[in-house]
This record gives sequence, C-alpha cells and structure tokens, in this order.
Amino acid sequence: MDNFSALIEGFATVLHPMYLLYALFGVFVGTAVGVLPGIGPAMTIALLLPLTYSLDPTAAIIVFAGIYYGGMYGGSTTSILLNTPGESASIVTAIEGNKMARAGRGAAALATAAIGSFVAGSIATVALTFLAPVVARWAVQLGEPDYFALMVVAFVTVGALLGSSVPRGLASLSLGLFLGLIGTDTLTGQQRFTFGVPNLADGIDVVVVAVGLFAVGEAVYVGSRMRHGPIRIIPVEKGWRTWMKCDDWRRSWKPWLRGAAIGFPVGTIPAGGADVATFLSYATERRLAGSRRKQFGKGAIEGVAGPEAANNAAASGVLVPLLTLGLPTTATAAIIIVAFQSYGIQPGPMLLQNESSLVWALIASLYVGNLMLVVLNLPLVGMWVKVLRIPRHYLYAGILLFGALGSYALNFAPVDVLLLVLIGLIGFFMRRYGYPVAPLVVGMILGPMAEDRLRRSLAISQGDLSYLVTSPFAATAYAAIVVLLAVGIWLKRRERAEEA
Amino acid sequence: MTSDNTAHDAPVLPGGPTAEDAPLPSDAVEPPPRRWGELVLALATTALGVYVLVAAGSITVPGSSNTLGPRAFPYLVGGMLVAAGVVLVVLILSGRAGQEEGGEDVDPTVRTDWLTVVLLVVILVVHVFAINTVGWPFAAALLFGGAAVVLGARPWWRAALAGLVLGLVIQVVFGGLLGLSLPAGPLLEGVPFLRG
Repeated sequence: MDNFSALIEGFATVLHPMYLLYALFGVFVGTAVGVLPGIGPAMTIALLLPLTYSLDPTAAIIVFAGIYYGGMYGGSTTSILLNTPGESASIVTAIEGNKMARAGRGAAALATAAIGSFVAGSIATVALTFLAPVVARWAVQLGEPDYFALMVVAFVTVGALLGSSVPRGLASLSLGLFLGLIGTDTLTGQQRFTFGVPNLADGIDVVVVAVGLFAVGEAVYVGSRMRHGPIRIIPVEKGWRTWMKCDDWRRSWKPWLRGAAIGFPVGTIPAGGADVATFLSYATERRLAGSRRKQFGKGAIEGVAGPEAANNAAASGVLVPLLTLGLPTTATAAIIIVAFQSYGIQPGPMLLQNESSLVWALIASLYVGNLMLVVLNLPLVGMWVKVLRIPRHYLYAGILLFGALGSYALNFAPVDVLLLVLIGLIGFFMRRYGYPVAPLVVGMILGPMAEDRLRRSLAISQGDLSYLVTSPFAATAYAAIVVLLAVGIWLKRRERAEEA
Repeated sequence: MTSDNTAHDAPVLPGGPTAEDAPLPSDAVEPPPRRWGELVLALATTALGVYVLVAAGSITVPGSSNTLGPRAFPYLVGGMLVAAGVVLVVLILSGRAGQEEGGEDVDPTVRTDWLTVVLLVVILVVHVFAINTVGWPFAAALLFGGAAVVLGARPWWRAALAGLVLGLVIQVVFGGLLGLSLPAGPLLEGVPFLRG
C-alpha cells in the first residue's frame, strides 16, 4: 500500500516533538477561541491566520488542522452551556444539549458531544485517508468544463441553498464574484475595476475580506444590539463520575456511528457541509428514537450525540473536495484555501503528488489532534467555562484588535486596515438585513478560478458553448444541480415543519 | 463617557423598559424604518450591478483574445447583481423583509444603537492612522481600550490599561518572538526585544 506508507511517514512528521507541540498549541487555541460566543469555525481560522504567518508550511498546516477541529469542539461547549434562550435554536445541538444542561446533566451532554466528536472524527479521518487518493486520481482526468461545472454546483449550493433567502444569498455571492474581479485579469493582463488605484491592481486580499466580514462585521453588529446584564452560564457538576452513566453510553454509541455515516458523505458533496449534516442527523435520531421521542426537545442525549458526531464527520468530509479538487464548499473551507494559498500551495488534483508529505502530515495531524481534543476537552471544562465568562466588551474589543492585526500583518500597510473597516461595515449591514456572508467569501475565492476554467474551456472549443455540457461528468453535475435544488427545497420544508 | 444605554451594567429585567418598547410577539411586522434601510441596501446592490455592466464595456480587449475575453464574466456578474437587487427591491416593497441574524450575544428586543456603530468605526479609523505615528502597540491600546469603553467597559482606565498591556504583549510576542515587523513607534524605538 503506497498511501499507507505515506501516511506512516506523515505520522512520523507529526510525532516529532516540535510538531506535536504545534498540534497541541493549535487544538488549544482553536478550542479556546471556538468556545468564545459569536465566533464560529470560519472566524476562528480567519482570526488566527496571522499566528501562522511566520511558521514553516508544515507547522502552519498542523496548527491549522488543530484549530479546525478545536473550533468545532469549542463550539459545542458554548451551545450546551450558554444560556441564551431563543437565539441558539438555529443550531440543533443547542436545543437538546442546553435542555440537558438545565436539567443538571450538562456534564453528560458535554461528554457525549466530545466522545462522539472523537469517534466520528476518527472514522471520518480514516474515510478521508482512503477516499482522498482515489478522488485525486479520478480528478486528474477531469477537463476544464468539468471543473467549471463543479464550481457552478458549489455556487448554487452555497449561494442559493444555504441561507434563509435565495435572492439575498445570490446578492451576497455576486458581490463576492465582483470583489474577485477587481485586479489584473490573469489571461490578458488587463486591469479590471481598479478605479485607477495602483494598490488594487493585485486584487483585494481575501484575508482582509474574510476577517472584515466575519470579525469586524460581527463585532460591530453585536455592539449595535448588545445583550447587557449578567452572563448566564449553566453550572456543570464536578467529577468524572457524572460524565456518562452506563445508560448514556448505551444510548449514545449508535447515534455516534449514525452521525459519522451521515456526516462524512454530506460533507464530501457540495451540499452545505456541517449544517445540513447536523440537521439530517437530528431528524434521523428523532425518527429512530421510538418510545423516547417524547424526550426530544426536552433534553434527549441522542439529539446531542448524533448531530455532534455528524458535525465533526462533515468537517473531515469537507476536506475531500478541498484537498483533491481545490473546491471549497463552506466558508470555513474557503478560508482554509486562503491559508494554503498564502504558502503558495494550490489545493487540487496535483496536490497529493506535488505536496504529498504535507498532505499526509495534515491528515496524520487530524488523527493526533482529535485524540488530543478528547483528552483535553473534558478535564478542562472548568477552564472553558471561565473563558465563556469573559466580559463581552473585552471580547468584542479583542476581536476587533486581532482582526486589525491580521490584516495589517499581511503587507504592513495601514491601507489594508482601512479596507478592513469598509468591508466590516458591509458585513454589518449584511447581517442587519439578513444577507448571508458565507456566499460572499466563497464567491470571491471561487470566482476567479471559475472564470479561468470557463475561458479556457471556450478557448479549447473555439467558442462552442455546447462543449461546456457535453462531457458526461459536466452533464451529470448540471443534472445534480437540479436534484440538489429539489432536495434543498424539500429539506427546507421539513426543517420548517420540524421547528413548528 | 458615551451613550447612556451602554453605560449601565445593571441587568435588564424582563418587563423593564426595553421589553416594553418592542412588541412582544416575535413574528410581529418589522417597524418601517428598518425596511427603509433595507431598501437602500437592495438599491445599492442594483446600482453596483448597473455600474459593473457599464464599466465592463470599457475594459480593454486585446486583439489576441479570440473567444471569451475579459469582459464576459463581468457582464455575467453585473447581470446577477442587477437581478438579485431588483428581486430584493420588489420583495421588500411587497413587505417581505429579511431575517436579521441572531447570535449568542445579540439581544433581539433592543433597537440598533447607531452611536455605538459610529464610534466603533471612528475608533477603527483612528487606529489606522495611529499605527505609523505613535507605533503599533499604542495604536492597539487605543483600539482595544476605546472599543471596550464604547461597548460598556467601566471604569475607563481599566480598559485603557488592559489595552496597553495587550498591545505591548502582542508587540513582544508577534514582533519580537515571531518576527512580524510591527512598528514599535518613536517612543519605544531602540528597545531590542520589541523589534520586528
């Protein structure tokens, strides 16, 4: 097995004491920042990008893998323990986990989330190990129109399917595509939409846009409507004996496995990543609960175990199209692409050949990081609770400061920070009026790639548009869009019915 | 120092003044001013689309590009912007407003505090211009302390002190240890471990 030996080599790299420390640092910082309320995994990575600017690529990728998984673990702690009625209902785990915590079973909820994340994350990483080389080998045979079709699929799912409003998602996506157009055209060298400003000739840095939208936009938005008064955190009972009882184990292990089985495939296809996976898992657990269905909505452990497992499995699944096709299917994945690009690494079918040692080090560090997280997370719950208590004015002031640092450190030009403020204001208004920000980031990153593929395709076919749809793969992809749209509408109906 | 409603840290009791301001049923119709602002954003989207369509026509097309030149994709993007913008304008005029984003720290019952928004933006802009004049650590202290006070930190000097400590620590860790070239500023010029 060629890949197997490559993976072993990856482990050898990661288990080097220095890199182990980097991995530990990554999972630690990732969890700490992920625990902070209002900071999702995409913002966690965007904010922590500057931390890695001065590291060597392998170390940076290892830190990133840790931050990626750590952010996921941290997020579940927040939704289980933070007592904010109403708002967190959008995340299915919060419904059951929060109810469990209020019933005095917070430790069990945290434990089933953490162990479930570990089990599903490990299974999904194994799946990634075997699937990624296969997909990469297959992806080499794809032509330009096939790639263009894949990107159209990503645009449609991220832009139209994921938000609550299709035209707003489309507007956000188009704005991202426009921001991607600014700069010098790669094929003809013509300047486009630079307004004669020399700084814009190289284009706008995606990091500035991502940090502006996720960090500055969020901080200003929360600042404009801040929740005052004491922070209500549900206390967790002490001692490991309270974590999970025999009954909890018995009720959790099947949802964990089902969550992994649902999460990984959903993550690999461009259909919305973790959110869709968690919802599907929650709906499945509810249906299979039988006599326990009445507990759902009141603190059913299955409703925490399944979705949390699915969430982590989907996070690994997202890496398959990311590493093998260079296709980001979530905002978080889009930011990871940016991180890769800042090291001059372009994810895609050639990545596994050209940067083989780096990719396998990344995959190995996912295994290691997952293990570190399950060991770290439960005993350190007391510390994460303290992090949750951080006064909100300091939290959002800190987010602004790190956002400003991150964009300043790109080129050490204050102009970048000014641009950050502008993008942050756009992010504020988008949040205020219900425009999703994820399509903008994905559009900005994928837009130039899609244009490139489209123009190359038409150059090959000498302008014949039918070339775009005649390859079997591209035709399948466009057919899949129709199916995805139908499934998306059906899912949304179900979600609404479930909520009602 | 700033607006009164951010100044008090006293817990907002349910049934207090804020709860009375907002209509209790959450699915009540949005107040008209909000829809007005939303309309502006939708119109801006449309306007940007029109601009992209017009400006795309003036992109130079080199003679060598035989098929799809540098103009085609901008036309597509401009068209999408206009389409999305027009649909949104129609939707908003027919009364279907967007669903504003929630969050753990967002209070759905309070009105937007525009003073906070303006002050935060002002502080960010001042920070930008302070970087090269007083040095990064002090600009950072200004940003952190200022934003914290605007968001309700009291007393103000504790926030300022926290900002100063944070700015210096980041300068030492990122500038000194990790090698980012953050300008230390005229005051700290020549302190070796602060150099980027």
